[in-house]
Amino acid sequence: MSLGKIISISTMRIEVLLTDTNVRVRDIIKTVDFEPENRFEIAEIKGNIAIAIPFGSVIGLRKGVDVERVEGGLSMEYSSEILGKVFDPYGRLIDGNTIANPVVKNVYERNMSLKEIGTNGDILWTGIKVLDFFAPMQKGFKMGLLGGAGVGKTVLIKELIHNVYKYLRSNSVFIGIGERSREGKELYDEMIEGDLLSKMAMTFGQMGENSMARSRAIYAGLTQAEYLRDECRQDVLLFVDNVYRFVQASSEISAELEQMPIDNGYPPTLLSDVAGVEERINSTDNGSITSFQTVFIPADDYNDAAVHAITSHFDGQIVLDRKVAEKGIYPAVNVFRTTSRLIDVEKVGERHYKLVQEVLRYMARYEELEEIVAVLGIEELSKEDYNIFYRSRKLRNYFTQPMFVAEQFTNIPGRFVKIEDVLDDVEAILDGRYDTTDEHRFLFIGNLYDYKQGNRS
Amino acid sequence: MSRHVEELIEQKMADIRTGKNIHETGRVAGVKNYILEIEGLEEVGYFEKVVIDGKAEGYISAIGRNRVYVALTKRSEQIYIGDRVHATGVEFKGVFAPDSLGHIVDMFGVDRMNDMRFDETEDLVIENPPIPIMDRGNVSRPLLTGVTGIDMIYPVGKGQRQLIVGDKRTGKTQLTLDAIVNQKGKDMICIYIAIGKTKKEVKEVYYELLKRGAMDYTLILTAFNDEFPPVIKTTPFLGLAIAEKYMRTGKDVLVVIDDLKRHADVCREIALLTGTVPGRDAYPSDIFYTHARLLEKGCQHKDGGSITILPILETKGGDITEYISSNVISITDGQIVLSTKNFEKGYKPALDYGLSVSRLGGAVQSREMKRVGAVVRRELLAYLEKCEVYELANEDEMSPELRENMRNGKEIRNRLKQYKYSPIPHDEMLHMFDGLVRLE
Repeated sequence: MSLGKIISISTMRIEVLLTDTNVRVRDIIKTVDFEPENRFEIAEIKGNIAIAIPFGSVIGLRKGVDVERVEGGLSMEYSSEILGKVFDPYGRLIDGNTIANPVVKNVYERNMSLKEIGTNGDILWTGIKVLDFFAPMQKGFKMGLLGGAGVGKTVLIKELIHNVYKYLRSNSVFIGIGERSREGKELYDEMIEGDLLSKMAMTFGQMGENSMARSRAIYAGLTQAEYLRDECRQDVLLFVDNVYRFVQASSEISAELEQMPIDNGYPPTLLSDVAGVEERINSTDNGSITSFQTVFIPADDYNDAAVHAITSHFDGQIVLDRKVAEKGIYPAVNVFRTTSRLIDVEKVGERHYKLVQEVLRYMARYEELEEIVAVLGIEELSKEDYNIFYRSRKLRNYFTQPMFVAEQFTNIPGRFVKIEDVLDDVEAILDGRYDTTDEHRFLFIGNLYDYKQGNRS
Repeated sequence: MSRHVEELIEQKMADIRTGKNIHETGRVAGVKNYILEIEGLEEVGYFEKVVIDGKAEGYISAIGRNRVYVALTKRSEQIYIGDRVHATGVEFKGVFAPDSLGHIVDMFGVDRMNDMRFDETEDLVIENPPIPIMDRGNVSRPLLTGVTGIDMIYPVGKGQRQLIVGDKRTGKTQLTLDAIVNQKGKDMICIYIAIGKTKKEVKEVYYELLKRGAMDYTLILTAFNDEFPPVIKTTPFLGLAIAEKYMRTGKDVLVVIDDLKRHADVCREIALLTGTVPGRDAYPSDIFYTHARLLEKGCQHKDGGSITILPILETKGGDITEYISSNVISITDGQIVLSTKNFEKGYKPALDYGLSVSRLGGAVQSREMKRVGAVVRRELLAYLEKCEVYELANEDEMSPELRENMRNGKEIRNRLKQYKYSPIPHDEMLHMFDGLVRLE
């Protein structure tokens, strides 16, 4: 039954003159008797006029076209068969598969109460030296991977999928938002090649698709993760690449709705939009969601309002830095900004905690010394500073790591390094036991014991 | 108001049903630069082509409650309030002539060297739907540019999008011309899209390519500096639509877009003029999406063809972290950063090896090239980083190992110098660093 007629059209917004005002925001409407069929989500209602956001291109659309409501709103089908399959942001399969006997659920419905949220979990080692040392991960944590354009976020999240998912083999959900289609396809192909896809559901709303698709992909993926947690009572791994793109898509929609922006064009609802999504990513007593989320830093501006809104939900963050990447140090981690709630004597133990503090002290002094050396030369340093200078450079090189998924760049096979080895090695470097070894030799190795045994290849 | 509209709609719908006045007319009610406000035209479709009484052409850029807006693409005479506007009933499309290879053409199918329209032309939809994720294949075939710093260290593969970014006068366009010239005899189609360039610049590019026999397989698609912004904005999309047409026949296409900063500025101009809420640096909020959907046309298609894109982006003061460039960097599969400092010191091509990235790396190199390239890159970066720290250090006090590193690094850097239009073939490149680097 017709709900009304279209009375205005622009690229990402239409207005509908309602004949039936029994509609709600977030209802889905579609065109009647008009080819190609268009779908829209209602974003705003003012009296008898509704503003709606199109799912696809509006080229050719005309005034006066009738629209009708699609029952159920934006919802998706799921069952235990979602694993191993690929979805679009509207919950439709795009890999040619089908799901038998699905349950249908609205993607916006879930909201968690304080009572059901669980907070405990075991430590989860990733095998990546710099991450395990500076920002250890716990089951149920939300870990952010922050970085500007082109500093290695995607490689790092792929390495995490490789290390964590492959060894844990727990069910996982991957949500690709506003990132490259090429990378999405490559990840999919690699998962199939490695016979790893069977326990992962993937949802893609990539950067070539419109704002609606990119802002809704996260809801589709979350609904799947919640299903695995709540109904299958499982521990779920959730990978989101890239959660910033969700905010970005929301601001595109907000601009179309002519909402007054906060700084840099972000929507006034920025904080509540982010909270609405992030508060759903939590653990209960029945199951957990452990998530790794990449965050793009626009214009390398770490004080960006959206970045702050997102990171305030994290339990830890790994910050990638262009200045580090420039020197060929990968993963390009800025150790000063990288933290985790676990860096606490009671959680990781005194030894680990103290080593982190000591390494940070060395690194901080090194930054100062670098400037002094550039002006005066190394000979002018005191004995103590001289040691700090060289040991810091060795530590910095030691925290590089050959990654499994980056073998095509480095030509060195990846290494999984145990945290005990990292602690031993760091302690040894700090104690000066490697003072006579050239700094060059610490680059892109696993642990020092293996390296000394000549197992570098 | 809405009651009035409702009646109007009902009236028009009734007209349509009785077959009356399908291609209707409206009148110009307002003129704001190249954006017209039109009264009437109740039945036009979004993005439909319209004609203003033989004076001008344009497309529907927005349909309001009681006005429609037209963005002009062509104008031969001044437009007055009250001029009649005719709907055409067809979508606004670009024109493509199969014979345009070897020529400088615009989006209307006109050869700009003689201002004649090609005899045989076809209308081309300006923007096709995105290429589905499942239709993409792996980017793995190398696209050789003949430039050592690129082919060996930051390689480009067929289907890759590799940004060329740097200040004015650092050799950005030159690198892409080198790449085009090196495609000779390799069964590639090249499309050079000039966005908001001066006529002189485009003509120079044409003669450079012509001189080297590269126009045989190259098409220059241009929207000059003084054309209407809606034309400058849509031209690169048409360029990619042409590329897609070739790709669908199994061809490999190389597209150069020169440059995206100008494109972003044009988008900003149009957005501000039409009252869009401004975002960061006053660019429209969807500027990322605009560039993303343009560059996402670049791909290795599962059916064999490919589109490789080398977008160019001009920066100021060497700042690649600025909004538009960091956006585009986050879209492309890597970036070649060119630095003024290197250019002035004579290290040409002026690549900044620390800031440049190829996200595909060895995946688009031959096995031997990957083997040599990985080591050369690591040695070079280590050298550049040490340079900063040990600049003042006494060479005699360095460990022998460090001294050798430093000497080799310097030599690697020198051997990467290369004059324009002097491509080095793949096999020769492999031996350029013999004796300098230890292969593992």
